[in-house]
Amino acid sequence: MSIHVYNNCIYIYFRTNTVHPNLATFSLLDAVFSADAFDFWARKVHPLWSWQQPLAQIVSKHPESNDAVTLVLKPNRHVSAFIAGQHINVSVEIDGRQHSRSYSPRYLANNHIAITVKRIEGGKVSTWLCNQSQRGDIVQLNAPFGEMTLKERPNHAVFLAAGSGITPFLSLIQAHAKTGQRITLLYWVRDDASACFAEALTQLAQANPAFRLHLLMTQPKDGIASDRIHLAQINALVPDLASTHWYACGPEGFVSTAAALATQLNRPFLGEAFSLPELAASQGEHVQIQLLKSRKTLSVPAGEPLLSALENAGIQPAHGCRRGICNTCACPKNSGTTRNILTQEEQHEAVSGLRLCISAACSDLTLDL
Amino acid sequence: MKNLNKRTLSAQELDLLAKELDAVRARAMADVGKKDARYIRHVVALVRYSAFAGRALLMLSFFPPAWMLGTLLLALSKIVENMEVAHNVMHGQYDWMGDPSLNGQTYEWDLVGTSDNWRTSHNFMHHTYTNIKGMDDDVGYGVLRLFPEQRWKPHYLFQPFYAVIFALLFQWGIAIQELRLGQLFSGKKSKEKFSEEFAPVKRKMRQQMFKDYVFFPLLAGPFFLPVLAGNFVANGIRNVWTYSIIFCGHFTRDAEIFPKSVLKDESRGHWYMRQIKGSSNLEGGKLLNLLSGNLSHQIEHHLFPDVPAWRYAEMAKEVRAICDRHGLHYNTGSFMKQAGQVTWRILRYAFPSKTSSAQLNEFRAESTAS
Repeated sequence: MSIHVYNNCIYIYFRTNTVHPNLATFSLLDAVFSADAFDFWARKVHPLWSWQQPLAQIVSKHPESNDAVTLVLKPNRHVSAFIAGQHINVSVEIDGRQHSRSYSPRYLANNHIAITVKRIEGGKVSTWLCNQSQRGDIVQLNAPFGEMTLKERPNHAVFLAAGSGITPFLSLIQAHAKTGQRITLLYWVRDDASACFAEALTQLAQANPAFRLHLLMTQPKDGIASDRIHLAQINALVPDLASTHWYACGPEGFVSTAAALATQLNRPFLGEAFSLPELAASQGEHVQIQLLKSRKTLSVPAGEPLLSALENAGIQPAHGCRRGICNTCACPKNSGTTRNILTQEEQHEAVSGLRLCISAACSDLTLDL
Repeated sequence: MKNLNKRTLSAQELDLLAKELDAVRARAMADVGKKDARYIRHVVALVRYSAFAGRALLMLSFFPPAWMLGTLLLALSKIVENMEVAHNVMHGQYDWMGDPSLNGQTYEWDLVGTSDNWRTSHNFMHHTYTNIKGMDDDVGYGVLRLFPEQRWKPHYLFQPFYAVIFALLFQWGIAIQELRLGQLFSGKKSKEKFSEEFAPVKRKMRQQMFKDYVFFPLLAGPFFLPVLAGNFVANGIRNVWTYSIIFCGHFTRDAEIFPKSVLKDESRGHWYMRQIKGSSNLEGGKLLNLLSGNLSHQIEHHLFPDVPAWRYAEMAKEVRAICDRHGLHYNTGSFMKQAGQVTWRILRYAFPSKTSSAQLNEFRAESTAS
């Protein structure tokens, strides 16, 4: 809502995108109302109250396997709805800094949201969520994304999961198995202890005849080890291959092997791999810079100051001192690795203010520019 | 003291100076984290509580002590918001937190000037070209003569009077600084260009006027006038305070002014040296640090504008030792002493300055040396 004074009359608008910018010359309401001030006072009353931030509170936490926990989150009204199989960026504050990682959420009863987090060696967010997070803590849940859904309505869906690649499939199975959707899940894990949701999946398989589960252990404590994904194995476990759609989720190597097999058998395929730390490009090599606001992708030499590299590519970012003092050229970096030219420090995380004049690309980057 | 102050370092000495100061910065940045986040959030809380308490007390203006206390609390809130939150946040000191409410590029402050113009005139021009005549508009703000190197004109005779008015209306000065009205009056800037630049400033001015002189007074009903008066006085106190702090930071007796020629191939070490020579500190303890947004450590702020400012007091010990080692004058003194020196400059340079001819020649020689 905004109030405008025009020709000595006061007009009150409920703001829509169609208000002509000239009419919305100034908004007096902005002078006396700020979302930040609202949030400051509202959170004293209730930790989830916010004018526009999508927040959620951890209401319970329980172990799922020896290195994974499930967090049950109570969202506020700003958290966007997602459909089974999508991902959501979870932001948490660790040592004063916001860090964000993608997880696969699923709905529980009373609209609570569950995410399962596997602790990664050296992983800041997963370690914090598994070890430090406590009931009552607040996290931010950003807009959902991802294509791993069953919107194609396949006759027979084959889910290929490796490790924590199981998470999008769990919400898909929970959402679709009870409708009679035919699903076969092949789930590769190292051993019993690292199999998340083994119990929940077994129960789902017992309750829904249309859903078949194959748990494949590559290094079981006892019993026979299964091979990693290969053709004969799939032929043996999945009947009527000709009518199947394939979906794979797991580490990059696993998903690319699955994709190759699907191509070989001429099956429709959808894959999602965990992003691995991007390799630092060496000096002089070219990297791809994706600019979100200007909807452009450019190729620039790695190691060169980004400001001049972008200028050479025909982009004119706002800038001032060109030596890291004035912060004029700072823009958000959503992904990729950069190096600070003055300190030689590498930055792998998303940041809200990357100073282009003293940063060089070490990998492909996504900038909000 | 004067000789020491004017000492110039060789290229090697400057490189060493840069290395040592870079190391001070690196040590501070390595420790940045939870403590800094907690600090700035406490300060934001202080701003919000004091504004709430101040505005609430002003609603009870029928009781004169409530008016006084309310006005002082509102002034405190505005001072801390402008100095310790806005100024430092806009330098990007807290960008690393990833908190959108503390983002340097988008923060909007409680002042009639727009944050966008401030980011240009202050973060870029003033911090890059500190005390360079003709580049750093903060040198006299285009209306005051503070250094003998500035050419004297008859209207400077009146500057002791209009300096007072400038202090009282300081936020309006900041608001129009980047509009460069001089260029409009001399015909160098078209009216169209001016209207375009003025539009966002006009919008911000209206918002601020609406808040302090319409909305809150109306909210007070029968106490419309006392609330309006309280807001007016609170804005005035803030204006005089910020003016004093900024002037004490660069226009004390030993603060130096530089010609444009220093910019030619300027090294990082020389930029550092210029920040030290052009800035001056205020000694006064923790309260002064808070109320000045840690500009009581103007030297450290100019050396490390993107380091969270509450760390300057700690960093100052090392900076001072480095200055001593390099024979650079570390310009510091009490608020009264520094303010006295600034007042002297305003009075002295209202008049033509004979004594400056030697310095002036030196300055001009340097200007043309390039």
